[in-house]
Amino acid sequence: MSAFLRGYLSVLVFGFAAVAMVGAMLGAGRLLRPSRPQPQKYIAYESGVDPVGTGWSQSQVRYYIFALLFVMFDVEAVFIFPWAIRLEALGIFGLVEMLIFIVILALGLVYAWRKGVLRWV
Amino acid sequence: MHAVLAAAQTLKAPDLDYFALAPEIVLTAVLVGILLLDVFVDETRKYLVTQVAGLGLLVSLVPVVALAANGADRSMLGGAYVVDNFALLVKALFLATGYVVLLMSSDYIGEGDYYEGEYSFLLLSSLLGMMVMGSSRDLITIFVALELLSIPAYLLAGWRKRDLRSNEACLKYYLLGVLASAVMLYGMSLIFGATGSTVLRTIGREVGGSVGEEPIVTLGIFFIVVGFAFKVSAVPFHFWAPDTYEGAPTPVTAFLSVASKAAGFVALLQLVYIGFFGREEVWGPLFWVLAALTMTVGNLVALRQTNVVRMLAYSSVAQAGYILVPFAVAGSNPAANATAQTAALVYLLIYAAMNLGAFAIVMAVARKTRSAEISSYGGLFTYAPGLTLLMSVFLFSLAGIPPLAGWFAKLYIFESALDAGTAAAVTLAVVAGLNAVIALFYYSAVAKEMWMRPVPDGDTTPIPVPPALAAALAFTAIVVVAVGVYPQAFARLGDLAQLTLR
Repeated sequence: MSAFLRGYLSVLVFGFAAVAMVGAMLGAGRLLRPSRPQPQKYIAYESGVDPVGTGWSQSQVRYYIFALLFVMFDVEAVFIFPWAIRLEALGIFGLVEMLIFIVILALGLVYAWRKGVLRWV
Repeated sequence: MHAVLAAAQTLKAPDLDYFALAPEIVLTAVLVGILLLDVFVDETRKYLVTQVAGLGLLVSLVPVVALAANGADRSMLGGAYVVDNFALLVKALFLATGYVVLLMSSDYIGEGDYYEGEYSFLLLSSLLGMMVMGSSRDLITIFVALELLSIPAYLLAGWRKRDLRSNEACLKYYLLGVLASAVMLYGMSLIFGATGSTVLRTIGREVGGSVGEEPIVTLGIFFIVVGFAFKVSAVPFHFWAPDTYEGAPTPVTAFLSVASKAAGFVALLQLVYIGFFGREEVWGPLFWVLAALTMTVGNLVALRQTNVVRMLAYSSVAQAGYILVPFAVAGSNPAANATAQTAALVYLLIYAAMNLGAFAIVMAVARKTRSAEISSYGGLFTYAPGLTLLMSVFLFSLAGIPPLAGWFAKLYIFESALDAGTAAAVTLAVVAGLNAVIALFYYSAVAKEMWMRPVPDGDTTPIPVPPALAAALAFTAIVVVAVGVYPQAFARLGDLAQLTLR
């Protein structure tokens, strides 16, 4: 067997193992689970509330902007904590770098503000 | 959180070489500048954003040239970020490509309905990722650069947001891009697990030694190469490319098919030549199969296309196949390695010029005909002789007809295969030769339509070409013709920009 085939044998084994794993899990589930179909089970699950009306209803899109802005500043905090612990050792370099980082992130807020995203219509 | 804070005790300020980082710093400053400009100028003066962005690209070229004149190789962050001739050459390529795309798109975007300011911002963000990619010699840096260049590109592909095709382009590109990233990241985690390092140079040492014999390394290399095969749209991972290219706005298509693809190849060059060099028996045959399939399928499917953009999409798939040939033959002997690397780099440079030029013509013609069907090119010569001549130059250069640049690029590819001299390499050269003949059919079909057929609707008013688009055409055409006449210049660039292996 050539070096190439020996090398790729592991890729093949890996592929078979991946397919077999999925097949085994689905198959085991099929064998183990009881099958008692009821009409209620075919209703779309919607946070425990009975679905009303059609699926094409409109929902407020503006929440996601606030979620995005929240994530942005949340991630900023994750970077600031370790930086704050080592602030003395990092010195002026660390201060300037963090200021640049915060200013660039704040630009996102400026952008959102100028585009009128922050107004709650 | 606790683990992060514990690790923070040992954080030290990194040694940064600001001169080496200057191109990226300038580009970041331009990015910040155009974002602010965009939100504070009024709607009628948004063109200022595009102009400042173009100027900014030229300004960031200055430190690249200064670094090249300085000549010293600079390494930072424990070898994770390297600025050498290779990095500088590809950075210059990306900046030039970005500038030409900006020239092509300024009128297109300005005349459209959507977000002129954000367009330049996203284009430059993507370029920043490509600049970082040129220097990254570390798995994490490569991944960050790849995401930085891809995420703005996903948005750009969906730019015409009320057009269903553009939505489709965006969604397909995004989903497959994310899939590719996941596959690649999995491969990177395996390589990191086996070698204990993310720096390519260390990985190269480990993979060349006894660790390289582990099956897990083979798996890691396989997944990383497959991930990048998605990015460079190699068959059988190409199926997103034609739909994305057709649906995206034409300047974005030009950008994706040139810059984004080049970035994928740059990353592959670094990975293969520095990281995985000791295991050519793993990636060599893989690239061989990818190259042969990509060339053949790309060219055969391109034969059947009736839409110019789809034809150019499949042609760019096929061109990726030619660029994969040097990868397939590298590693067999030291002389072949050097030629293979030069061949891939030179092909990327020349391909950028000729493909951008072809897309610029498509845009110019679509300004009048509002169509990209090949039949709408009928009789182009009677009312736009200049455009017809230029399109013929670009098409025949893509086909590899002497004395145009594309001929020289293909010659180098063949030379790299013949330098390697193994039976597999010579077979691949024969496959590439056959493909060059097939490709000639569909390129010359468009040329025949332009020169010989009658005008389909009889409308022979000349096509107005805005100055920016004309400048983009002139620039690409000059490169294609000049390199064809005097190829030594590009070959010298490619030779200078060799990646140092160890």
